[in-house]
Amino acid sequence: MQGVTKSYPNGRLALRGVDLTIPEGDFVFLVGPSGAGKSTAIKLLIRDELPTRGVVLLFGRDLGRLKRRDVPRIRRQIGIVFQDFKLLPNKTVHDNVGFALEVTGAPRREIDPAVDRVLRVVGLTGQADQFPGQLSGGEQQRTAIARALVNSPRLFIADEPTGNLDPLISWEIIQLLLRINEMGVTVLMATHNAEVVTAVRKRVVALEDGRIVRDEVGAAYHRED
Amino acid sequence: MIAFVVFSLRRAWQSFWRNSLMSLAATATMVLMLVLLSGLIILLTGLDATLNYVQQEVQVVAYLKDSATAQEVSGLETSLHAMPQVTQVSFVSKDQAYHDFLARHPDEAEVINSLPTNPLPASLQINLRDPNDYLDVATYLNHQSAVDRVLNIKQTVDQMVTVIGILRAGGTAVLIVVGLIVLFIIINTIRLAVVARADEIEIMRLVGASDAFIRWPFVFEGALVGLIGAAITIGLLLVGQGPISGFLSDYFAVLPVEASATVGRNIALLVLGTGVGIGVLGSYVSVRSYLIR
Repeated sequence: MQGVTKSYPNGRLALRGVDLTIPEGDFVFLVGPSGAGKSTAIKLLIRDELPTRGVVLLFGRDLGRLKRRDVPRIRRQIGIVFQDFKLLPNKTVHDNVGFALEVTGAPRREIDPAVDRVLRVVGLTGQADQFPGQLSGGEQQRTAIARALVNSPRLFIADEPTGNLDPLISWEIIQLLLRINEMGVTVLMATHNAEVVTAVRKRVVALEDGRIVRDEVGAAYHRED
Repeated sequence: MIAFVVFSLRRAWQSFWRNSLMSLAATATMVLMLVLLSGLIILLTGLDATLNYVQQEVQVVAYLKDSATAQEVSGLETSLHAMPQVTQVSFVSKDQAYHDFLARHPDEAEVINSLPTNPLPASLQINLRDPNDYLDVATYLNHQSAVDRVLNIKQTVDQMVTVIGILRAGGTAVLIVVGLIVLFIIINTIRLAVVARADEIEIMRLVGASDAFIRWPFVFEGALVGLIGAAITIGLLLVGQGPISGFLSDYFAVLPVEASATVGRNIALLVLGTGVGIGVLGSYVSVRSYLIR
């Protein structure tokens, strides 16, 4: 992101002149109070929104100049999970994960093995035929992670992935994200979870009122001076 | 390409049944609206047929001089036949007029029989293609030597033309208004069905589904709703055909019999076209608002 400013039609300035570079393979925590601009930054990265000023480059491409029909193609290189999981309640775990491949037009014979593979990674092989309503919160989030992984993304974005989960389960999710990072995938995680951020000691980018107020490698959730 | 169409069709079919409540609501609305629309069209068709019939009944009556020769009369008939405004010319002789009069007014028989000669003139009765041509034909007849006078019903004809014009315009206006309401209600119902699945659309966009991939299953589903709705409506109309024609012949007495087969086919095509068309349009427009960012 280079000099990115985003203002919404209601006049609110969500981001003010943000410069941020994330090298491939990095693991970055995006922290800050609610309304600091974390969600807006993520929306800009997946080109759900366009910046008011400035440039967002993803994999070397200017998202502002991307043609409409190229947007889906670049989104397939991003895996994303949310606090509220966003699973389809009337599809099984297997079908929810397979859905991400299905919408890219992949043939069924390629979908099934790919789904089995990512379900093994997140440890949900046994729950493949259950519906989201039958799963615990942690299992639902792992399903969402599997869905985000099944397209073999280059960038993995997690927006408050542990917001709805208890501490123990949150740890499992973080461990999973660290493993995904070890597989070579860039991970960006927006979070409020101070304990986790401090314990993991990765790069921390803190947003406040639309500006980056801190960018430290191997840092804690709060400033340590 | 074909694989994509097949895939979209399959998805449309699946989601139609998975969201059966919404599909049912949309289809039921579709049927109701199509029945309303076709009922109105049947009614207006009857009205139109009646008005056409009434128009054809407008006659110019020219009373002939008793002195007119048979040659003069047949010459006049030929020239009238040659006029483009005229559909039919019939000659009523003095005797025929006398008998007609007796048949219509049996009580006046004594009066007319007491007269030394038959006072009723021979006449030509001319049917017109369009009542608006009344004046042209009447003027032409007034200048013929064989014609005594032309029965002046200009005022009546003018009034009738006005009333028919108002009825036609009113019918068309009602049809347009109802058509718009039907369009609005059906599109709105389909929109509801799409809104109910906003989550699904959002997820599809997030995992990188192309716009076409998201849109076409919905469009096909809209077409399916239209198709089923139209089929049910046509079924209802077929079942109701007997009572409907009964009603029409009671009210409009003169509906041309041979037209009803064509009318039925036209209405079936219209119902089918409207159903599928609005189904597709409604889905397309509704999904569109989720795609454009």
